[in-house]
Amino acid sequence: MKARIADIQSLGPAIKRLVLAPSGAELFPAASAGANILLEIPGPERVWKNAYSLVSAPGERNRYEIIVRRVRQSRGGSAWLHDHAVIGQELEIGVPANFFPIAKAAKKHLLLSAGIGITPFLSYLAALQAAKAAFELHHCCRGEEAGLFRDLLPQSAQAVLHTSRNTLDLVKLLSVQKLHTHLYVCGPEAFMDLVVATALRLGWPRAKIHEESFGGATGGAPFIVKLARSGIAVQVRADETLLEALQNAGVDAPCLCRGGACGVCELPVLEGVPEHHDHFLSEQKRAGNTSIMTCVSRAKTPELVLDF
Amino acid sequence: MGINKSRPIYEKLRIDPKGRAHLIVTDLASVPEDAIEADPAFSNIESWVVGIGAPGIAAEARGNLRAFRAVADLRSHLSHRLARETMGFRLYALGSEAFLWDVMTLGREAGLGEGEIFLNQAGTLRRRVYCTHCKTMNENVATHIVVCQACGATLFVRDHFSRRLAAFMGVKVDAEVPGEVPAPEVLYP
Amino acid sequence: MHIRLKPSETFRGEFLVRNSDEAILRFPFPFPEDAYMYGVNIEPHRRGGPSAAYDAVFDLDEHYIGECEDRALTLIDDPARCQVLPHMLAAEWDVVELLMESLATDYPELFQLSKNGDDWRWVNQPLGIDQCFTFGNPETLPYPPFEYITRQVQGDFTIQDQRDGNLFMDGGMVTSQADWSLNFDLGMSFHEWHGPVPLAHELGVFDRALQYLLRLQLGKPVRRLNWTLTVNPRLDTSPENYPLWGPDKATITPENVGEKMCLRVELQTLTRLPRSNAILFGIRGYLIRLNELVRVKKFAKRMHRVLRDLHPEIAEYKGMPRYRQIIVDYLAPFDDGAVLSSGTAPDQASL
Repeated sequence: MKARIADIQSLGPAIKRLVLAPSGAELFPAASAGANILLEIPGPERVWKNAYSLVSAPGERNRYEIIVRRVRQSRGGSAWLHDHAVIGQELEIGVPANFFPIAKAAKKHLLLSAGIGITPFLSYLAALQAAKAAFELHHCCRGEEAGLFRDLLPQSAQAVLHTSRNTLDLVKLLSVQKLHTHLYVCGPEAFMDLVVATALRLGWPRAKIHEESFGGATGGAPFIVKLARSGIAVQVRADETLLEALQNAGVDAPCLCRGGACGVCELPVLEGVPEHHDHFLSEQKRAGNTSIMTCVSRAKTPELVLDF
Repeated sequence: MGINKSRPIYEKLRIDPKGRAHLIVTDLASVPEDAIEADPAFSNIESWVVGIGAPGIAAEARGNLRAFRAVADLRSHLSHRLARETMGFRLYALGSEAFLWDVMTLGREAGLGEGEIFLNQAGTLRRRVYCTHCKTMNENVATHIVVCQACGATLFVRDHFSRRLAAFMGVKVDAEVPGEVPAPEVLYP
Repeated sequence: MHIRLKPSETFRGEFLVRNSDEAILRFPFPFPEDAYMYGVNIEPHRRGGPSAAYDAVFDLDEHYIGECEDRALTLIDDPARCQVLPHMLAAEWDVVELLMESLATDYPELFQLSKNGDDWRWVNQPLGIDQCFTFGNPETLPYPPFEYITRQVQGDFTIQDQRDGNLFMDGGMVTSQADWSLNFDLGMSFHEWHGPVPLAHELGVFDRALQYLLRLQLGKPVRRLNWTLTVNPRLDTSPENYPLWGPDKATITPENVGEKMCLRVELQTLTRLPRSNAILFGIRGYLIRLNELVRVKKFAKRMHRVLRDLHPEIAEYKGMPRYRQIIVDYLAPFDDGAVLSSGTAPDQASL
């Protein structure tokens, strides 16, 4: 659907908030906490399709708000938004989809984020506060960004900002939680891996750990993908995902969330070793290297052959 | 016709090495030696039984053993225990199907879920049957036809199981032609 | 869309209900081919289809008032026919918004919805309702939100919570079901509540259907058809009341089968809900007597072939053994063996 950029606010040197409003008379559909939207970003040579978490309150139908960080190794999408987006401009956006919902039956919600990973939790906060649900938010950021994030967080004992490693005692925090708590993690891969590994080591069951993948769809070493059934070979450049390369080459590759979460883009691997960045495949499937999620994963070998 | 897909499938209980604390609960008088696989190095396993604590568990090797007078008593204590517990807790239930799913309900209310609570059927296979017509639970049903103790309807026990109610569905067997009742087969003596 | 609403009909007791010619021609016939087997058979739910029954997002027909009255009677008799687990409150409001907006859009002469922020006004002319309320505040409605609106819509509804890679039936308004119990099935997962259905599990139908539904997107609802046979146009064929309607099944004779035996079709819709991320499952039921159905020539012939050749396990599950042969014998004279078009459109514009 079409949306109009209603406002652009600078929150920091490389962070902007975009407010989107409906283009026509029809309101946006309401969104759930943790939902994201796909933005079609019109670059000079190509169109990027990037997913951004909604930070506006769930249920808001008059506007959607997203926060965009200008990524240093940006493939172009976020840089374009920072440098070229103007108020009044129209963009194509997707309807909200949610691969990171709040667990409705949990009686307490423990939110752990780092850097730009806080964005889905901003929509969570509105829902949790409205429902008077018990929660704790611990956000980690670099010292120079403390001011920016402090402004985004509510003034409450439930939201804690950590600017150094020493103030967040992860083991203690995870150990003291009662049984009805669920854990939600969002941030750079290394941060998420550490939190999840610690939780599992302390006996948290997988079912109570929820992760939103951010930065999963990054670039990496270029490689060649060959499609066994059609015989096509496609170059995957450093600054595009495997899925984008296929689709730009005219291949009707399946996809939906573009974030490694929903499973639709999974394709069988015949040769080569995939580099997995998704949150969908089981440990066994990853180890077997017989499948790949094209929207976020890449290749460890110079070539990959897919059964497609 | 194959087994109804609403029926749970049970597996042998195994102590989860990733758990921090472990509690076995059973409606039997003791936990049989071979009922649960555990690394002998584990010493922090508690067992709660109903009736008299019996041989079959080496009390020192397996940690605490506690005996309750009745299932209701065990359940009451379990609620209190779960409300105080912290993450890393594992609950293992062994017993009749109705007992297992009653424990599951208690566990879920306290927040336990997949990977934290494990069930295996042992002892009687008799079934709890829910009378669809008057909503009464009929316990320990051994046959496939049972007369509802509350409303008197003769029920056929359908092979459809509700985990929430911890019961099988009973529907009037002679609704179409009243009086046309098949002979009850004893399935679970 | 102009509909002649019938003022009073009954779906119990004397069954004072008949289908007009229009209702017969718009009936959502479930058999696109001459044989029937289970399949996922899901398609996008857009306005428009083989008959007028597909024209609206939530179809309303001439039986609207009678069906709402029948629901109200069933709920007096057994309030447990409408239950929603506490964690699904956001979904309840999603359903209020969806149904009110859809009805007001598709039937503007019957329903009006006006909003001023969260202050809404809902007018339901056929039922004489004029309700001001605050969206999101349950205290401002006379019933809990889901119950409030589903009392004003034809068909049953369930709400599925999506979590742990599965769907759970965590709420429902179920007063016109074909023999399943909400009180028993509440809280079940997708495979559990489909447990009793024969054959389909082995075919992998439910595995594929679940994966498909988990990815259901906002704004892209889907639909499918289900069918069974009911004696008398009775809406409440619940297992709870089986002692009441069960005896009817043994009363079918070749003389009365045309009048008493009904084809019951469910137009099922699945819609993603915005705030709760849950799924609304709509089960819109339609009943037609055989002697009404056979006035559409294609329906008579195809129905004969489908029932004559139906897999015995499916026939058994749909409760047919007692009278299947009587029905097949009734339909046989209408079947001249002609080749029929595939698809479910009636292929005639008048009766």
